[in-house]
Amino acid sequence: MAETIVKIENLVKRYKDLIALDHLNLEIKQGEVFGLLGPNGSGKSTTINCLLSLLTFDKGSIEIFGKKMAPDNYEAKRNIGIIMQNVAVFDELTVIENIDYFCGLYIKDKSERKKCVQDAIEFTELQDFIHFYPKKLSGGLLRRLNIACGIAHKPKLIILDEPTVAVDPQSRNKILEGIQKLNEEGATIIYTSHYMEEVEQICTRIAIMDKGKKIAEGTKDELKKMIKNTETVSVEISEIPDDILEKLSTLPHVYSTDFNNGKLEVKCSGGKHNLIRILNVLQESDLHFGRVFSELPTLNDVFLEITGKALRDSD
Amino acid sequence: MFLHNLKYEFLQNIRAKSLILWLILFPIILGTFFKIAFSGIYESTTVFSAVPIAVVEDGDNSVFREVMTTLSEGDDALFETEYTNEDAAMEMLEAKKISGILYVAGEKLSITVTPAEGGPSAESIRQTIIKSFGEQYNAHCNIIADTVANSPEKISDVVSALSEDIKCNENIPLTNGNHDNMLSYYYNLIAMVALLGSDLGLNIAVSSQGNLSAIGARKCCSPTKKLVTIISSMVGCITVQTVCIIIAVSFLAFVLKVDFGSKLHMVYLAGSIGGMLGVSFGFAIGSIGRLGVNAKSAIATAFSLICCFFSGLMAGNMKAIVSTYAPWFNEINPAAVISDSLYCLNFYDDYERFTQKIVTMLIMTVVFTIIGFFLTRRRKYASL
Repeated sequence: MAETIVKIENLVKRYKDLIALDHLNLEIKQGEVFGLLGPNGSGKSTTINCLLSLLTFDKGSIEIFGKKMAPDNYEAKRNIGIIMQNVAVFDELTVIENIDYFCGLYIKDKSERKKCVQDAIEFTELQDFIHFYPKKLSGGLLRRLNIACGIAHKPKLIILDEPTVAVDPQSRNKILEGIQKLNEEGATIIYTSHYMEEVEQICTRIAIMDKGKKIAEGTKDELKKMIKNTETVSVEISEIPDDILEKLSTLPHVYSTDFNNGKLEVKCSGGKHNLIRILNVLQESDLHFGRVFSELPTLNDVFLEITGKALRDSD
Repeated sequence: MFLHNLKYEFLQNIRAKSLILWLILFPIILGTFFKIAFSGIYESTTVFSAVPIAVVEDGDNSVFREVMTTLSEGDDALFETEYTNEDAAMEMLEAKKISGILYVAGEKLSITVTPAEGGPSAESIRQTIIKSFGEQYNAHCNIIADTVANSPEKISDVVSALSEDIKCNENIPLTNGNHDNMLSYYYNLIAMVALLGSDLGLNIAVSSQGNLSAIGARKCCSPTKKLVTIISSMVGCITVQTVCIIIAVSFLAFVLKVDFGSKLHMVYLAGSIGGMLGVSFGFAIGSIGRLGVNAKSAIATAFSLICCFFSGLMAGNMKAIVSTYAPWFNEINPAAVISDSLYCLNFYDDYERFTQKIVTMLIMTVVFTIIGFFLTRRRKYASL
């Protein structure tokens, strides 16, 4: 059984009357890519900041590497890499100097540090930009520099707090590939995001948060099994009579039908050939329709079904 | 770790454009502006120069000639004398080449000057000098003539007494320093450079606190102790600030030829300690409250300029006004303390008052640093 790297028990954090974290419990094992998914304001960053001992909390306990986390737990800090949502680099230092500076806060030995800095540069593919100042870098490169500064000391636990905010798709993919590579090299990852696709793509286990509470936890398949929906069929259609809509809702495994703005959405729970049955009904009724989509449930569906609101609404 | 942090603190500071602008270029530009604006004001209003006069003699008067020769010799000559005839003298007076004409007829001396225009001026002062000399000369001649006529045996005592009278009017300087009032502007300029170093100290505070900057948060998450990073940053900033002060003072002293007196090395010292005060002041400001770095920087700069205003950077007599209505303020105004230390250095021969000002600066530095440390020592925050 894998070693527990992070253990959060009954964590409560209040900002006056607002409860930011409400009895949160998390356990993250070695080698996991653990995703914290939730809309803005759900408590993801607060969890991370409490974890890093930056924020005080009202109740509960946090253990990292088996020891209570505190500001003076330097041994734990030595093994943690942090990549903040806001880029934290010095404008007056070049790329290589920034990485060396932050790496130097963890590693005293010059030759060891030099190697680590070089590895971080290669890992983030910043070789061609080492003498650039941050202001000369594009948004994607800046994010990669931010990551290089956080991982150069080769931490065992890497915490990434929304590292892809305002990043172009190409750079986003590079960052996500990099995170998977870090995990393959042995690092445990905690990844927060409100982009469910990213979390689905890289996380081995996911906790969904809302209003400071953990509302679900598991692998993405486990999370999807928690909900009724197994397939959503969407059809572009100009109009649909009420009796046809009624007929669709009586089909086997269909539990919800909705027509809105020229789009028919039929939700199914289990069963096979749902799409064929739905299209047959439409054809028999001599209705003309456009594009047809059949989608498996997403984490957004999980979030929607549990909370009654869409995760994307908060984007 | 200390040296690592120190190295990068140096690099950041020397590459910061704001530092180059405010701590190096600004004093150079303002100092040059002062030099151009004040050039000649001191010489024309304060420094005494020999009064140009013409002497028109009616016959030979060896005693008068001897007196005039004595008064027209040396570096501190009272008159610049030209012997000529009446017509030439009048022409020179009308052409304003001379300030007055002395007519010597036997033992009697008479004076001609032209009316000075406007209020008190350098010309009216020169005419007053000529008039005073004429009156004193006539009075002395009368005394000597009376003594010769009535008590010739006392003539040597009378001459001796008149000589002593002259000695009583000898100029005895209070100090060997430069008396140029415009120097106070340069003192305040140095004080301003010292206080603008507050921006450096401010950045230390902001970049050390997890609730004020992302860099602060990243530093707080590292295993390096906060005290180590703060002290090394303070050392780095104070060193850079000292270099800026040295550049500013050197530029004023050697390029603009501002005369700081014979204790230039102490000017460097006072400026450098003022720089420490500026950095610690910024460190304290940066540690207070949750405002962003730009807002805090604006507050520190505004505060520095206000201090400099009350110290006399923008209006030379401001410090005297403050001294009249709120003398305590000059004792706690960092800019006033820094400029006062430079003033004491120039004006007083001993170091007593200078030392007092230096001690005041050091106490302020320690107080500001303690405030900064006290407020930045936190490692956990209620909110970020």
